[in-house]
Amino acid sequence: MNKEESIGRKPLQVLEKIRDNLERLNEKMEVMIEIQKHGQRDVLQPLSDAPMDVMTLLSMPDHLRKTAMTVCRCGRATAEEISEQTSRARAVESAYLNQLVIMGHLKKERNGRKAYFYLDRENIG
Amino acid sequence: MTYKLGRIIAVHSYKGGTGKTLLSVNLAASLAKEGRNVCLVDLDFRAPSLFAILRKESSESWANDYLNGDCEINKALVDLSSSMPGNGKFFACLANPSTESIRDMSTKDRKWEMQALGRLLALRDTLFRTGEFDYLIFDTSPGLQYSSINAIVAADLVVIATTGDRSDVNGTSRMLRELYKMFEKKTALVVNKVLDAGSKTKQEEMDARAKTQYQVPLLALVPCFCEILRAEGGLIFPRDKPDHPFTKIMGEIARKIDSDQTQ
Repeated sequence: MNKEESIGRKPLQVLEKIRDNLERLNEKMEVMIEIQKHGQRDVLQPLSDAPMDVMTLLSMPDHLRKTAMTVCRCGRATAEEISEQTSRARAVESAYLNQLVIMGHLKKERNGRKAYFYLDRENIG
Repeated sequence: MTYKLGRIIAVHSYKGGTGKTLLSVNLAASLAKEGRNVCLVDLDFRAPSLFAILRKESSESWANDYLNGDCEINKALVDLSSSMPGNGKFFACLANPSTESIRDMSTKDRKWEMQALGRLLALRDTLFRTGEFDYLIFDTSPGLQYSSINAIVAADLVVIATTGDRSDVNGTSRMLRELYKMFEKKTALVVNKVLDAGSKTKQEEMDARAKTQYQVPLLALVPCFCEILRAEGGLIFPRDKPDHPFTKIMGEIARKIDSDQTQ
């Protein structure tokens, strides 16, 4: 890569970084909105590793259970993929998924721009 | 990824003794008789019984081993196709009946149960992806046991075996409201051991109960057959009594499920 190309790429990298940060900020805001909408009682104590077994699923509020069960079936998925199965908006699923991450039931992993949510069945406990 | 090629059916009930295992085995045999490839899984780890009905006292590996992560599913499958009628495959995955295994399964923790659910869900990929099986039938423990709820969560359709017993009717209604509905499960009802099942009044009464009290489709009314009691679990009706009325009822249930008339 020559010097000119390198200089040309830098603003692009900065913009990409800003976009990623805005997306993360947006996710956090979605979680906060959902928490306010459904009340703090739905977001139990933030746990580090809370196994998502069937009894936990049963004790969840309906809106979170639907998302959690879809992740159970898919194994690993993005908010977009979950929303295709639940027929709810991607932003809504993103908020619920992040809420489940905060509760310690799901793990989240970024791969480029995509955020994947999954159950860490092997290492939880 | 979800494979639409096959379906998982969990046979469940509120109380014990409603005929879950009888229905599971005979439904599996009826589907196999119709040419479907079936795998019957015993998930009643507290009281394993398929091994006795299918007369397989030993197995290379058991359903317990698969859920423990000690073996792959193919090691826990027993091929019984040659002893069943029809062209369909009939495989079974048996629960280990030893006292030690029953005790071991009753002491599992939440983490293990979560992993077991993962392994049950993985069966869809393993057994349906290649088109090897059309149906997986889970014979479960009654009531709210971990293993049965895992089976319900993994299933596409839950067939509930119930009787006219007052406590069973009450418990089944509650289970429908508080369990299946929460998991948004497709459910269908089989009322077993019905006296006067042939009478129009009884059929209307049961239809009304299914619609109003249970609010789920009624798959069939199974009369109380003395032959079933006399057989003491030793007969698989589609194979041993092809002309028996119970065989015909099970054939109708299998056809309804196969044609997805469970709405």
